[in-house]
Amino acid sequence: MERVHLDNCMTTKPDPLVIEAMMPFLTEKYFLPSNFVSTGSNSKKCIQECKQIVAKSLNADESEIHLTSGGTSANNIGIKGYIMANAHKGNHIICSQIDYPDILTNAAFFEENGFDVTYLGADWDGYIDLEKLKSSLRKETILVMTTLANHVLGTIQSIKKIKEIINCHPSKTGVEMTGSSNSNIALFVDAGHAYGRMPIDVKELDVDILSFSAHKINGPQGAGALFVKKGTKIAQTKHGIVRIDNLDTGGISLAALAGMAKAIELQFNDLQGHIDYMRSLQNRLLQGIEEKLGKVLVNGAWGENRICHNLNISIENVEGEGMMMMLDMFGINVATGSACSSQGLQPNYIMMATGRNFVQSHGSMKFTLSRLTTQAEIDYTIVKFVEVVGKLRKITSI
Amino acid sequence: MDYSEKVLDHFMNPRNIGKITNADVEATEGSPACGDQVTYYLKINEETLTIEDIKFLSYGCASNIATASITSELVKGKTLEEASNFTWKQIVESLDGLPSVKIHCSVLAVDALKSAVKKYQIEKGLRAAEPFNEKTVMQEMRSIIHSGAGDDIVTLNMVKSIEYQDGILTINLNISEKDVHKCTVVSEIKEHLSRFEEVKELNVRA
Repeated sequence: MERVHLDNCMTTKPDPLVIEAMMPFLTEKYFLPSNFVSTGSNSKKCIQECKQIVAKSLNADESEIHLTSGGTSANNIGIKGYIMANAHKGNHIICSQIDYPDILTNAAFFEENGFDVTYLGADWDGYIDLEKLKSSLRKETILVMTTLANHVLGTIQSIKKIKEIINCHPSKTGVEMTGSSNSNIALFVDAGHAYGRMPIDVKELDVDILSFSAHKINGPQGAGALFVKKGTKIAQTKHGIVRIDNLDTGGISLAALAGMAKAIELQFNDLQGHIDYMRSLQNRLLQGIEEKLGKVLVNGAWGENRICHNLNISIENVEGEGMMMMLDMFGINVATGSACSSQGLQPNYIMMATGRNFVQSHGSMKFTLSRLTTQAEIDYTIVKFVEVVGKLRKITSI
Repeated sequence: MDYSEKVLDHFMNPRNIGKITNADVEATEGSPACGDQVTYYLKINEETLTIEDIKFLSYGCASNIATASITSELVKGKTLEEASNFTWKQIVESLDGLPSVKIHCSVLAVDALKSAVKKYQIEKGLRAAEPFNEKTVMQEMRSIIHSGAGDDIVTLNMVKSIEYQDGILTINLNISEKDVHKCTVVSEIKEHLSRFEEVKELNVRA
C-alpha cells in the first residue's frame, strides 16, 4: 500500500486533475496578466475564473474576493489590514486561547504594539466562552477573530451566535454609549480547516472577513483567498507592484491559482456527498479503534458540530510521538499533541486550554482525512494503530 | 535533523525490554507529566559488582525508547563504576546522533541508570549518601538540556548563580526572556530539584 496520509489538517495530496489544470501555467501559459496582448489576457481569464469559483463557493460577490499566495498570507492581509484601517476607532481586539497560530501570533503582534487583546477561554469540547465574549466587548473593540473549525479538536464554532453577540453590542446597534467612539466591530473568520468540509455562506453567516487556503482541499500549496465584505475597510499591508491582487501585491503563482480553482470545482461539485463520505470514514475509524482498544477519549465536540474530517483521540498511558513515529514506520502520517513532537517541548496549547491533563495531551493522536482518503486506508490504519498501541503499552513504565 | 537508522532500529526493536521481578535495584527518572519516563531494573553480581542483567520500561517518544535501549545494551556486563562513568554524549554518539530537541532523552536514560547504581551502592554501604549542597544542585543542572542548543545549561553558561540556605534554594538563570525553551528549562529544573526533601522552597529566576 502507498503511504497513507492522515495528516490532511497540515496539507493534502493534490488531486491529479488539479495537477493537470496547473500544468499549462507551468509550461506554455506562464505569463502574468497584462492588457491587450493575448498572453496577458489568458492569464487574466485564469484569475477571473478563479475569483468566480471562489465567490460562488462562499455565496459572495466576485468583488469581495481577494486571491492570495496562501492561507497565512490571507490571514495576515485580513487581520493586519483591518486593524490598521480601523485603529482610529479603538484599540481592543478579541480572539480565543484556542485559535489557529496565525490569529494568535497576529494578536500578540498587536498586543506588543499597544493594543489590548482579550483571549477568550474555551470549554472541554472546544467551544469558546460566549458569555465572556459578551462581557468583553467594549466601545474600543474593533475586531473579533475566530477559527471556524478548530484545527486540533475539530470543533465548529457557532458563527451565528458570535455574530448575534457582536450585533447586540451598542456600537453595532447604534444605541448611545457613554463616550462611544462609533466603532464597528468586525468578525474575522479563519476557515482554513472548515472550507470544503462544511457549507459556508458568508451572507447567511454575515462574516466580515474570511480566509482559506487551497492545499487543505486537495489543491496546491501557495494559493488561498480572502473574502472581504463590501464596505469593510482593509489597509494595504503588502506594498509593491499589483500583478494579480491589489492586497497581495507581486506575483502569485498562476499555476497555483488554476489548481485552486480546479480543487474548489472538485470539492464543491458534490460538497454534501464528500462531507457524508468523510463523516462515514471518521465514524469507521473511531469504531474500528474502539472495537479493539475499548472506549477512548475523543477530544473535541462530536456529531454535527465536529468537522467531518477530524478524529482526535487520547490513548491512556501511551505517548503520542512514539505512536506517531511507529505509524510513520508503517507508512501512515498522523499528528499528535505530545510535547515530544513540538520544538518547544510543550504539550499542545489547545489540548491544555480545553482542560486535558498532560498525559491526555501527550497521548493524543490526530487523524485528519480528505475526500481522497479510501476505506482501505482507514482499515489498514485501524489494524496498524491497534498494533502500535499494543506494542507501546507492553513497554510503558506508567 | 531526522532520526538515524540506529535510533529507529532501537525504537522499533528495543533491547532488554521488560521488568526483572527480583531486581536488586530499580530506579525511575522523568514523569508522565513531562511526557517521558524511564525505569531501569538491575541484577547485580555482589562479588564482582557488575551488571549481570538489565531491563527497562519506558513511557515516551521514539528517542526515549531508543536511548534507554542502547544504554541498557552498553552497560550490560559492565562494573558499577564503569556504568557510573557513562555520559549522555556517549549515548548520543552510539546512536549516530540525536536531534538537539531530543538530547534530553539521552540524559534521562543515563540519569535513570546512574540513580539505580547510586541507590544500590548506598543501600549496600559501598558509598555514603552525599550531603545536599550547592554542588549537588550544580550536578543536577548538568542534566538539564537546552533543547535548542542541544547541550546542558551549565556548559551553556546559563546558570548564573545558586544560593542555598535554610532549605531555600534560589537558582538564577542567564536565559533570554524570549527564549522559546525557557519554560521547559525552568520546569525541568523544578522537576529535578523538587525531589530533594532538603529543598523546602525553590525559586528559579530566569
